[in-house]
Amino acid sequence: MAKKQAEAKAIHGTGSEYWRRLLADCKRDKWLYLLLIPGLIYFIVFKYLPMFGIVIAFENYVPYSGVLGSQWVGLKWFEYFFKFPAWIDYLKNTLILSLMNIVLFFPAPIILALLLNEMMNLRYKKLLQTLLYVPHFISIVIVVSITFVMFGPSGIVYKLTERVLGHPINYMGSPDTFRWMIIGQTIWKETGWGTIIFLAALTNVDTQLYEAAMVDGAGRLRRLWHITLPAIRSTIVLMLILRMGSVLDTGYDHLILMANPLNRRVSQTLDVFVYQQGIQSGQFSYASAIGLMKSIISVSLVLASNKIAHMLGEQGLY
Amino acid sequence: MKKLVSLFLVLALALSVMSFATAEEPFEISILLPEFPADIDFVMDNNPVLEKIQELSGVKLNIQWGPNSTYGDILNTTLADKNPPMLIAATDARAPIIVNSARAGAFWDLTEAVKDEANYPYLAAGNDGVYNNIAVDGHVYGIYRSRAFPRGGIYYRCDIAKEAGIEKTPETLEELTALAEALAAYGKEHDAYALNMCSYTAGTVSVITVAFGAPNTWGVDENGDIYPAHKSPAYLEGLNWLRHLYEIGGIDPNFVQISTSDWDTIERNNKGYMRFDCLDNAHRQQEWFENNAGVEEQIFQTVGPLAKADGTISVWPQNAGFNGEILVTKSVSEADLPKVLKFLDWCNSSDGQTIINAGLEGLTYDVNDAGFRYVPEEKVEEYTKNSQMYHNNINQMGMGVPGNLENPKSDPTYGKKTQLRQRYEDLNAELAQYAVLNPCYPFVSETYTAFGSDLDTRINDAAAQYIAGMIDEDGLRAAWDEWAAMGGDQVTAEFNEAYHAAQN
Repeated sequence: MAKKQAEAKAIHGTGSEYWRRLLADCKRDKWLYLLLIPGLIYFIVFKYLPMFGIVIAFENYVPYSGVLGSQWVGLKWFEYFFKFPAWIDYLKNTLILSLMNIVLFFPAPIILALLLNEMMNLRYKKLLQTLLYVPHFISIVIVVSITFVMFGPSGIVYKLTERVLGHPINYMGSPDTFRWMIIGQTIWKETGWGTIIFLAALTNVDTQLYEAAMVDGAGRLRRLWHITLPAIRSTIVLMLILRMGSVLDTGYDHLILMANPLNRRVSQTLDVFVYQQGIQSGQFSYASAIGLMKSIISVSLVLASNKIAHMLGEQGLY
Repeated sequence: MKKLVSLFLVLALALSVMSFATAEEPFEISILLPEFPADIDFVMDNNPVLEKIQELSGVKLNIQWGPNSTYGDILNTTLADKNPPMLIAATDARAPIIVNSARAGAFWDLTEAVKDEANYPYLAAGNDGVYNNIAVDGHVYGIYRSRAFPRGGIYYRCDIAKEAGIEKTPETLEELTALAEALAAYGKEHDAYALNMCSYTAGTVSVITVAFGAPNTWGVDENGDIYPAHKSPAYLEGLNWLRHLYEIGGIDPNFVQISTSDWDTIERNNKGYMRFDCLDNAHRQQEWFENNAGVEEQIFQTVGPLAKADGTISVWPQNAGFNGEILVTKSVSEADLPKVLKFLDWCNSSDGQTIINAGLEGLTYDVNDAGFRYVPEEKVEEYTKNSQMYHNNINQMGMGVPGNLENPKSDPTYGKKTQLRQRYEDLNAELAQYAVLNPCYPFVSETYTAFGSDLDTRINDAAAQYIAGMIDEDGLRAAWDEWAAMGGDQVTAEFNEAYHAAQN
């Protein structure tokens, strides 16, 4: 590392103040910088080098011809995507699903973490926490299968609604229920796991604050509102900013498992389309172009929400 | 980005799997084949069938299996590899990746080889029209896997029909309607459905719409222009037929959620009485009932040509005489190409066809006094196990380009109590003359290559929703308009251009 810096210095020649100080820093903390190397290599090899593959989004990529040998087509695939109005549907489905996810699923782990935090019996709390983590480790394929068994035409929920309402609700094959089913499954599977980070933040709250508040006669709800929530506010904001980065990510495995001809109108999202084009139809360039577009939008969303967080006086991401 | 990483992983994996034969050992050929699920895993080592193939052809086979349900995905990732297997079975000769890779030179051009009677007599005996159908820009890149033509059709439970009061096999569409209605009424009392439908609706819809006179995927109008099948009034008639059957309770209301892998099971559980699919499934189902349910009389019947009200007949072919092709990739060096072609030629010979399609005598079949292959009743279990372990999906590399040269042939009266197998061969010959062909099959449309799967899905989904009563005729027409706006019109224009160019 130090040698590299020296080389850089030699190249730049002028030997500015900046480089000299960096070099001195490196020498002083050389062991710390050594620790950094494996992580750096990981990021270069697995995150930065593959990025060069983005060029296939501008080519008519045929695996046999390779990245360098394929024909350069410029923005053709981007034009293709916008040529027919289907993309509006995909974008709409993606955004609605994401919005529902943020509104309905995002607060769920926070509420659950607050509830857990209020529990007095430590032993029971630990047991409950462990049980709540279990769904996270169940494969989405199994979750969907369980849903089919319960909500499908011969399932208990289906039969029960039929008896109560007098007519059945086609949970698994209707565009009206599709999104709710997806959100419901996500909440069931991930809420428990999502509490971890908030519970960790809650352990940092100074207990003296609670005691002082109690002396002043604050009830449980007041303490929650004036002490607990402000304490984890920055964590919530941080999580929300990170979540903004994946607004366009709906994942495809979950949706493909739940999709069928009757609900395709709402189940077709950008991620599903990318999967269909790339892996199922072998249109690697087309899929990459859409993926690239998605990434650009996601990065801008993160930057924008970080800015907003700063404006609201929060620390934000950086 | 995720996709790229996975591509790299596939590449690394495939490279590590690849092995190259040395001079002393028999020439090794790697091949990718689709695998249909079986109870027992296929055995690669000490496999008598593979050993026999090696003995007869002088080639060592290294088979890589791709599960059929995700075979398209596997094909795409395999072709993304710099060193794919030498031979690849492509189940769809028109898939974008196949067309693009062929144009980029990923496969050997076999146009001359399939005409070379001196060196490859069996390959050269193939049908030129079919070779033309799988060609890309006039070049043949693979050996087609021939299939019985037209194969598509209708079969039903004749024992149930008899109980429901219908003895005669339908010969007109009107009689088919009467049969379906009778089966629906009977099914209502027995917790079953007249027509067995599942999430794969395209086949069912095609059988009935073409029977009503709609074109097969694309039609040619009186001006000689190409138009999509759903623009034909007969297509709507066919959909209405299904919608009516759905309304009277003849179709499972949840058919779209039924997986194709449960399709057979529904019939075996007596929950579905009629199916619009492949005709040969009728005798397979009959044989299943004979072997597993102790059925002795004929309970399945296949339906022949159906006359419309005006007396004309049209039949949907399930295939165009073939099902995909075997491609030779550039993993084969130019020097080795004749060896690989020689092997493919051998596969089409009498020896090759017999072992690929049927396995080995004494292992998967016996030969009866009349000189036919059959499985004795007491050995059914043993031979089924053997064929899953040693033979199973090897038949996926069967091409049968020069026609059936199996020796011995399978017993046409196999399954003793049924003549369904024989009837299948006879019906195919009869139905073939009424088969409606897709005029656009040999052409490639750029827009269809990019958006085809999405466009097809729109048409199929709209049909399923219309049948299930979720949308009315206006909704259906709106979905078709949407199809046109989403690229359907563009595809039509491109096919028209290619079609007119070929006509001149």
